[in-house]
Amino acid sequence: MRISELVSKTGWKVTTPGLDLEKEIHGAYCGDLLSWVMGNGEPEQAWITVQVHMNVIAVAKLREFSCIIIADGASLPPEVTAKAEEEEIPVLESGIPVFETAKILVEAGV
Amino acid sequence: MFYDLHMHSCLSPCAEDEMTPNNICNMAMLKELDLIAVTDHNSCRQLPAVDKVASALGLRLLYGAELESSEEVHVLGLFPKLEQTYPLQEWIDAHMPGIPNDESYFGKQEIMNEMDEIIGTEKNLLIVSLSATLEECVDAIHRFGGRAVLAHVLDRANSVTQQLGFIPMDLPYDGLEIKSADQKQRVLDTHPWIHEEDTHWFIDSDAHHLIDISEAVNEMSEAVFEELWGKSL
Repeated sequence: MRISELVSKTGWKVTTPGLDLEKEIHGAYCGDLLSWVMGNGEPEQAWITVQVHMNVIAVAKLREFSCIIIADGASLPPEVTAKAEEEEIPVLESGIPVFETAKILVEAGV
Repeated sequence: MFYDLHMHSCLSPCAEDEMTPNNICNMAMLKELDLIAVTDHNSCRQLPAVDKVASALGLRLLYGAELESSEEVHVLGLFPKLEQTYPLQEWIDAHMPGIPNDESYFGKQEIMNEMDEIIGTEKNLLIVSLSATLEECVDAIHRFGGRAVLAHVLDRANSVTQQLGFIPMDLPYDGLEIKSADQKQRVLDTHPWIHEEDTHWFIDSDAHHLIDISEAVNEMSEAVFEELWGKSL
């Protein structure tokens, strides 16, 4: 599934609107401990997290995640969003808890 | 001088009841330490008593607390003057989530006087994360005149590397706390932008029990002390 398809199915907010949303998503990873995510994430996954520190962008880049989905009402500070745009990592906000976010990804066929 | 800049008094719920101001300072004297800091979780309220006991014994003190950021990273704020911790305490209070302590589960949070008499109890649980990012915690420490040392940076719990993957490149910390020379090498190996000579390294006990306070093995020069905290003592 492409990020753009997920966005049109869910209506989740894209906080990096200038970026290419035609990247494919293959699976997802949930986690907020960045050391853990660095060690276990896989390329092309959508990463669901509530962690909003600047380091999330470096971790997403390192693991080659397809996109970051910020869950549970958290949101990235402007300087982190700017970094995501610079590094061309699309960021979505689901606005709902991690478990609900993951369930919707499953239902959408990710 | 021999130092230990990270230990908890009986105000921290996880520290043993014997970590009283007098026991801590006298144990530091017995171990022939020259400089200590008592750094309770998210609180400076034990420091007035520790200050009185230490000054009577002629033991040098830095005044501090171990803050927990919103990312659950632990960072020590270390100040040369007791008075500088008063505005820090107000700032901490404004960023506490206000979760009541359950003594039977977490332990007691007792505030003492210089006679080791209990003069108060902290009602809110102290082992919580503040509503302030790591950057905001470091900024607050600096604003009130202190130095920020990232605590136990390679620990598997509440360390900057566990929570945030690595030490942020732009974070203006003043020192890194490690457990051993091996750990220093691991930090250097995994952070090419950190240089051994440009960094202040600290090895502290993080003692929660009297017996765990450091022996006189970790040394700091007077020059480094003055660079970080001035000539105030």
